[in-house]
Amino acid sequence: MNLYAVLRQPRALVFVPLGFILLGYIVYPAALVLWESLFRDGQFGFGNYGEFFDPDSPSYMEGLFNSVMVSVGSVLLSALIGVPLALIFTHYEFPGRSVFSALAILPIVLPPLVGVLAFLFLYSESGMIPRLIQAALGLERPPFSLNGVWAVLLVHGYTMYVFFYLFTSAALRGIDPAVMEAARNLGASSWFSFRTVTLPLLTPAMVGATLLVFMTSMNSFSAPFIFAGGFRFLSLNIYTSKLNGDMAMAVTQTVVLSAFSIAFLFWMRRYEGRRQYAMSTKGTANVRREIRGRWARLLAGAAGIVMVVVLLLPHLTILLLSFVQDGTWTHQILPQVYTSDNYGRLFQDPTFWEPIRNSLNMAVVSTAADVAIGVTAAYLVVKGTFRGRKLLDALVMVPWALPGTVVAINLIVAFSQGTPFSFGQVLVGSFWLLPIAYFVRHLPIVFRASSAAFRQLDDSLEEAARNLGAGWFYAFRRVTLPLIGPGVLAGTLLAFVTALGEFVASILLYVYDNRPIAMEILSHLRQFNIGSAAAYAVLLLLLVSVVLLGSNYFSRGTAQRSLS
Amino acid sequence: MTCLRLPKIALCTAVLVCTTVLAWGCAGGDPDRRVVTVYSPHGKPILPEFEKLFEAAHPDVDVRWLDMGSQDVLDRVRSERANPQGDVWWGAPATNFIQAADEGLLSPYRPTWADALLPEFRDEEDRWYGTAQLIPVIAFNNLELTKETAPGDWDELLDPRWRDLIVIRYPLASGTMRTVYSGMIWRTYRDTRDPDAGYEWLTRLDANTKDYAADPNMMFQKLARKEGLVSIWLMSDIMLQVDRYGYPFDFVVPRSGAPVLTDGIALIANSKNPDDARLFYEFVTNVDHTVLQATEYYRIPTRGDIPKDRLPAWMADLSVAPFDIDWKVFSEQSRTWMKYWDDNIKDRG
Repeated sequence: MNLYAVLRQPRALVFVPLGFILLGYIVYPAALVLWESLFRDGQFGFGNYGEFFDPDSPSYMEGLFNSVMVSVGSVLLSALIGVPLALIFTHYEFPGRSVFSALAILPIVLPPLVGVLAFLFLYSESGMIPRLIQAALGLERPPFSLNGVWAVLLVHGYTMYVFFYLFTSAALRGIDPAVMEAARNLGASSWFSFRTVTLPLLTPAMVGATLLVFMTSMNSFSAPFIFAGGFRFLSLNIYTSKLNGDMAMAVTQTVVLSAFSIAFLFWMRRYEGRRQYAMSTKGTANVRREIRGRWARLLAGAAGIVMVVVLLLPHLTILLLSFVQDGTWTHQILPQVYTSDNYGRLFQDPTFWEPIRNSLNMAVVSTAADVAIGVTAAYLVVKGTFRGRKLLDALVMVPWALPGTVVAINLIVAFSQGTPFSFGQVLVGSFWLLPIAYFVRHLPIVFRASSAAFRQLDDSLEEAARNLGAGWFYAFRRVTLPLIGPGVLAGTLLAFVTALGEFVASILLYVYDNRPIAMEILSHLRQFNIGSAAAYAVLLLLLVSVVLLGSNYFSRGTAQRSLS
Repeated sequence: MTCLRLPKIALCTAVLVCTTVLAWGCAGGDPDRRVVTVYSPHGKPILPEFEKLFEAAHPDVDVRWLDMGSQDVLDRVRSERANPQGDVWWGAPATNFIQAADEGLLSPYRPTWADALLPEFRDEEDRWYGTAQLIPVIAFNNLELTKETAPGDWDELLDPRWRDLIVIRYPLASGTMRTVYSGMIWRTYRDTRDPDAGYEWLTRLDANTKDYAADPNMMFQKLARKEGLVSIWLMSDIMLQVDRYGYPFDFVVPRSGAPVLTDGIALIANSKNPDDARLFYEFVTNVDHTVLQATEYYRIPTRGDIPKDRLPAWMADLSVAPFDIDWKVFSEQSRTWMKYWDDNIKDRG
């Protein structure tokens, strides 16, 4: 069959645009970066890699080592917080359980840069908590302070345990309690049955969460940026190299970072593949055990309240900061002078709405593209029977492993000249590069959510509808769409929310016409207007909360299930 | 159950569509006005003020500005080389401009006041001109220290008394701190042509440094909240902080002089609005506005033709001996020095 004939086939209508976009915006930029990393002062070779791995100039290796260590640490810490929480909330019933379990996902509404700031004012050397303890105990110096790598780890633990919590809860809900009962009846201790029955069944959820946390942490920019002034991280190093005009080293580090992340992605997927356990269920409902005994109940309640306070503190700190007059809170434990000027100043600013509008625009455009491409790709991968299905799957998932800095650098390198993929336009400096970055970064979210939904969809349902006389569109509207809708919607909203607060790619790609919210906050910070920055952050928090509450309302928790 | 969900999905889609329409609907900008885009680290008080002033004088031009660090501007102009978005680059240490000029990122322009400038404040080929002199000084928290008890000169920063009391803006990402650190090396390099003595000095400073702050804001926070008591930063910035927010800062001008930075202005090569860019260039550097920047924002003019009586009194009283720096050699060497510092000195002292 010649090319013309291939293009005439109906499936070309789907495959050609899909291939064009995936090739143009994911494969081509990455390949170009790899190619550029092989040139040093115009000479082809491995000179850049020689410098990276040069023992006499350890800063690059140090960055890589720190990034990997912090990511491993973040995974362990997040698992340590998230998994027990999920177990407790799924297996035990106690007063306030449902409220606490809903509040446990609070950290997710805290946008990256803003969350880090809150931690700074809470736990750093001059933060509220160390100073309060110092004053209460009459100590000479603050009893502890959060700094450097520990601070980064703690911020990661706080924001990323949610992934483990969500994934594990969803998996636990899917386990048939009869399996556990069988193990107990056969004489297994509760630890033994947990280890040999529950844990293996949780493997896919754990792998999913581990991947997500590891990638997010390798990618983490704002926590190291704010907390670890001199501490080296690979993602930060890339930014600094580029800032100092060393593009060759910037792309080389980009390649190394991508290689590590992609290797980790495939290693985890293989591990997951070797440990698949299918379960046949009789459909018994999961029963939660009531905690009995006054003391146990009190303890559970108290622990719950402490948890809520700890989880809410960063949000409250931002709110507090937004009412503090700049320059009045220095050596005091708590701010002394409160004002609403910070908000007043924002609303008076004639350009105040622009960043919000820009972020909304870009989030809508990029998410719409994510849905179009992500859902199509998910459908093809799950339901299709063509060769190259695996390749398509891998292609769409690769951005999952690419940190935001990498996506940004790839796009800059690829589109600083006209290419067929941009119809000959130079995209650097234009409005479009940033939404494209959002699109690439968040494509896997929509794809994962949709493919989970498609996997749960039994083909015979649609067939039955068609046999009963429904047309294709009617069957799609009344049967398929309601079934996959919630899953797709959940992924869509998550992508949308993440795009609203995006920071990492934005800092490298924004231009005047698309200056997003995160850059406006950073700009206020640069000008020492902490109050205004916090006020703006509160608005962003509100925006994100509204979208997330909406998602929860519309999808009734399927958001969580379909992602794991 | 499943059928019930559909209207909700429809509703949600409708909400999304509405948001889009709303968002695009109020997408604005006045299509009739010409545009000039300014990249500048000067930030919120200065930029909006000059935007207003300029637009009042030229109502047919819309001034747009992006506020970012001077090193960020350089990086951005470099990234956008194929499709420049900025027209004017207002503010950065001369070292940044020298580098940008070498890379062909700037467009030559000879301002009307060019002759009022000493040769050291300008590029030979008119690619950038100096507008103000910025003096790095020793900053301190004045609740704990006074001008007498604070370090009075660079070498006093090395005194063990200040161990873990100095906070410094992480120098690698800052044009200002790069200039200061390289200036410390330059003191001995000028005669010996060997940076080792300077490296040794910086190692001892590193030993006294408690923390490297991510940006000037974090540095000021740490200083105000007494996480550190001493820092090195620009005099004009410190005066502005005290003036605007009442932060507890004061400063000492080092006795032996300082690596005084020349802050400049330039036109970006191949920009989209070169004519209005020139208009803006002249506007913010004319006599009246140079005086305004001197009185309101503590920026010491480079122009020699400003009447003394129009400048604030403190400027006349100020005496600083600028380091005798060959900026060409300095900016070439500075990269190597800072890379060495990052690899071999930081956190090792």
